Formats: sequence, structure tokens, C-alpha cells
Amino acid sequence: MLENSADKPLPVRVISEAIGDYIDRLGAVWIEGELSEIKVRPGSSMVYMRLRDTSADMSLSIMCHQSIYKSAGELAENARVIINAKASWYSKNGSLSMNFKEIRQVGVGELLARLEALKNSLAAEGLFASNRKKALPFLPRVVGVICGRNSDAEKDVVENAKRRWPSVQFAIREVAVQGAAAVVEVSQALRELDADPEVDVIIITRGGGSFEDLLPFSDESLVRLASECTTPIVSAIGHEKDSPLLDLVADFRASTPTDAAKRVVPDVNEELAKITQQRERARRTITHKIEQELSWLGQIRSRPVLRDPLSMIRSRQDDLDSLLSHLTALSPQGVLDRGYAVVLTGDGTLVTQANQVNAGSQLAIRVAKGTIAATVNGVAGGE
Amino acid sequence: MEKLSYEAARQALAEVIEELESGQATLEQSMALWAKGEELAAICQEWLDGATKVLKGEADA
Repeated sequence: MLENSADKPLPVRVISEAIGDYIDRLGAVWIEGELSEIKVRPGSSMVYMRLRDTSADMSLSIMCHQSIYKSAGELAENARVIINAKASWYSKNGSLSMNFKEIRQVGVGELLARLEALKNSLAAEGLFASNRKKALPFLPRVVGVICGRNSDAEKDVVENAKRRWPSVQFAIREVAVQGAAAVVEVSQALRELDADPEVDVIIITRGGGSFEDLLPFSDESLVRLASECTTPIVSAIGHEKDSPLLDLVADFRASTPTDAAKRVVPDVNEELAKITQQRERARRTITHKIEQELSWLGQIRSRPVLRDPLSMIRSRQDDLDSLLSHLTALSPQGVLDRGYAVVLTGDGTLVTQANQVNAGSQLAIRVAKGTIAATVNGVAGGE
Repeated sequence: MEKLSYEAARQALAEVIEELESGQATLEQSMALWAKGEELAAICQEWLDGATKVLKGEADA
């Protein structure tokens, strides 16, 4: 520790040298990142660049001799490189730079091989499994969109979704969709939209581009973040043939931004037509049913038992009349009417033999109308 | 009596008619059956008229 206090402050040179000593201890290291801000100045023997992390918003200032820069062949902005660098401290102005003596470009072949390996390991973890896929909402309240600034992809999503469902609401995050900043900005936007309870589905989209342009969408940290999101994600990255790993982890992979728009909102006219159709069908069915029942009821009511209830009394009346006429025919009244009489003893027994009675017996003589009381004067015959 | 459902009234009405037409019932029973049949037919009619009115009302709206 360097001894110091407010009373005994250290001069700048001492601290600057101390920092230089600390930095020296790091030694030479191999670093991988993306090149940017390449400055080849005429008259200067050195080339100055910036080396960016591929997933985080961090970068280092790097430099090398022109001959080393040229030895690596054509190095474009955003090229993926590996350098062997040593940190150098410029005590003159207190700046830090990584000075490298060796640089290798990471070729497309190498990147593809890594991508394949990453894909296999994520697949083995089950990140792409179909049972992890969430169903897209039928009608989202708010559609989250992550896209490039003023991009065609954004326009395609917004226009097509509005055409299908005019009142669709968007939460749009315009971010860098290529280069070193893409992973950081897309991840940040994804976190924000996933946390928004109103956002029911998130579209991540960008147009076609070079293999390197689409690399951020295969970044492991972004793919893992997407797999942890609770909001369903639709990816529409590049063209059909491009298959960034985000496509595999997304809940739905759309072929184009237009396709993504189609997937996230229903077509209002199609839905209205369906409803109209179903209402008509329901009405036809119920009308038919009522008609059927009315006809059944009409038929039932026209049956004689209901239409002419008197018939059931009439038949019984006829029956009764006929019985009555039989009764009349069988009655002794008719015989009495012809002048015959019936003789009964005092106790009501019918007299058919003269010896049933004696002189002085009381008799009742029944004629057609009324009864005569009589006394026997004498008896003759009988037996 | 709680208002019968259309199906219940329809079923009961069919049974009443069948019994009446069989001629097995006494006069007293027949009178009761006939009164019940009229009542059930009215319930059925009421249901169907109501349903028709709802459909027509909806069509006018």
C-alpha cells in the first residue's frame, strides 16, 4: 500500500506508475470479440480499433502495428476475431489499450460449427422441446414488437396486423438488430416487454441479412432469456432458410414479418363472417324445431278426444239410452198398463195360488196406476 | 303447479291422449284426463308462441 493522506497526497506520476504495474500483471491474454471503429490513419504505423463483447455492452480499445493488421487479411467491421493482447498503460494521459501481436479471424465455418454445438447442447437441455411451447393468445391486448429502427420488418408487422384487426395495440421497441449492441438491446427490450402484464405476445423480427448479421439471434444468453420468458414469443428473423437459434426456442416461428402479424391477431372480417354464419345456423335450426313442434301440437289437438270432448259423453249417453229402453221393455208396468193386476198379501208376498190366502186376509192389489187394499171374502180352487 | 318445461308438458300430453284413446278410463277419469290434456296443450302452445315471439322480436330489432 502506498502511504497517503489528505496531508500527504501522492503525485500523479506515482499513482499512474502504480496502475501501470497492476495492469502489467495481467500479462498476455487471448480474447474473442467483434471488431468495430477500425481506424487506419495514413502516416501512422499503428491501427486503432475497438473490440466488443458479443453478448454484453462492454468493449476494449485495442491496437496493433499495421503489418499485423494486414496479416489477418480483409478485416471488416463486425468481424469476429481472436487476438493475443497485452494491456498497455499510457502514463502520459492515463489511457488503457490492449496491444496485440497476433490476430485470427473466426471464420464462418468455425462459427457454424460452434452454433451447431450450442444448438445440440441446448436441445439436449430440452430448451426447444415442443412441450415448452406456449400457445399464442387468440386476441392479445397488446402486441410487443422488437425490431430495427424504421425497419421494413416493423412496417410489415404493424400494417398487416392492423389490416386484420384494426384496433390492435402495439408496444414497439426499436433496437439494434445487428452488430455487437444487438444482443444487449434485444435482451433488454425482451425483458421489458415480458414484464409488462398488458403484453400478451412478443414478436422479435428483422429482415434478411448476412450470416454474421443474424448471429446475435443465436446468442446463448438471448436464447436462454427467450426460453425463460412467460409471454409467448413469435420469431420472424431473416428469410426462411436462415435458422437462428431464437427460431427454435420461440413459441412460434413465422416465415416473415407479415406471417408473424397473421399469427398474432385474428382477421376481423373472417371472425365476423363466422359469427354471422353461426347465428344464421342457430336461427334456422331453432325455427325448424318450433315449426315441427307446432305441427305436432296441432295434430294432437285435432285428435277427437281433445277436439270433440262431448263425444265421450255422447257415447255414454247412447249407451245409457239403449239400457233404458231395455229396462222399459222388461218392466211389469207395461203388463199393468194393459189391464192386468198384481195381488200381494199383507206382507208383500205375490199371490199366485188361491190357497195362499183365507177369508178375511188383507190383500194389496197393484194396478197400472196405484194400489187397492182389499179383504178376501172366500177362497176357491188352488192346488 | 310450477310451470312445466316444454318437453315435460309434451310428454305428459302424449300420455294423456293415449290413455283417453284407449277407452279404458271411467267417465270421471276421462273428464279429468281431458281437462289435464287441455291444460298441457295450452302449456305447450305457450312455450312455442313465446319462442316464436322471441325469434321474431330479434329479427325486427
